[in-house]
Amino acid sequence: MILYTPMQLELVLAGLEQMKHYPERKTTVNGVPALVRNVGDREELVQLLSTDPQDYLRSDIYPGVTVMPVR
Amino acid sequence: MSHYHSYNEVPGVFPYHPPSEPGPETDPHHPEQPCDDPNTEKTRVVGKTKNNTLETVKEMGTTQVPEIKSNIHCLTIVGQIEGHLVLPPQNKTTKYEHMIPQLVALEQSPEVEGIVVVLNTVGGDVEAGLAIAEMIASLSKPTVSVVLGGGHSIGVPIAVATDYSFIAETASMTIHPIRLNGLVIGVPQTYEYLDKMQDRVVRFVTAHSQVSQEKFRELMFRTGELARDIGTVLIGHEAVECGLINEVGGVQHAMVKLKNLIEEWKDRNGVPLQ
Repeated sequence: MILYTPMQLELVLAGLEQMKHYPERKTTVNGVPALVRNVGDREELVQLLSTDPQDYLRSDIYPGVTVMPVR
Repeated sequence: MSHYHSYNEVPGVFPYHPPSEPGPETDPHHPEQPCDDPNTEKTRVVGKTKNNTLETVKEMGTTQVPEIKSNIHCLTIVGQIEGHLVLPPQNKTTKYEHMIPQLVALEQSPEVEGIVVVLNTVGGDVEAGLAIAEMIASLSKPTVSVVLGGGHSIGVPIAVATDYSFIAETASMTIHPIRLNGLVIGVPQTYEYLDKMQDRVVRFVTAHSQVSQEKFRELMFRTGELARDIGTVLIGHEAVECGLINEVGGVQHAMVKLKNLIEEWKDRNGVPLQ
């Protein structure tokens, strides 16, 4: 991977080693298969796993949005 | 007793309503068939929109704007374009794995007629940036880009990938070689490898804009402009003068241009979409 940016790399990559890896799991969010991760008190959507491109235009599911755990 | 009765109906499951707005056939003021069963009516009210709005305000600091279906879509490319490596959280990032299916959806949707790409990026991963640029360039629908604050490094191919490009008066674009500021993770870091990667960028940019290869390389290797690096910073009209960007302008110009392009595109295709 090549980063092509005028920003200083020390600034871009600061804290790379300290980055936490949260446990991830596959689930469905509002009927769409997705990868979510547990960030302590809540679950956050990481990536949509749907193959329907229209799902990626939805305003309720996108990377970073908080999803309530399905219990 | 009635409590248990309504509980069995599983609120929110029956009847299922996809979270899209009503089509032209449903008039919200005059629902065509009044619901006879009061229980069914009740379950329909048990929705999630109210909660969702509250959450959006709380989490994102934004409110939901009343939805008006637009025939154009706006893609914003901000911060670092994230590639195969997840960047530390202080970076604002554009996620290409989400963006690429979005572009597929925009190409596929019959109601979308044009796409405006708004850029304010400091570059990022070469592969991811080129992937987005190639996707935009291969769309059949009219596309217009606006460089607002900056469109640096790998933002340059994305800016020129559209049918027509604008740059704000004060916006800047940094053109510099990959190898000096580039970071290579997990690949043989040879001069030739970086040179090849750079050629991909140069070839894409020169193929999709009016700038010549010689001129672009000259801008890339110019000395004396950047304090810590070789390269050039183009501001507003300078980017237009060298042929990289089509015109100086803002959102208004972009919208007018996109509208014209859509008209031309419709004429060319001969089939009105709506």
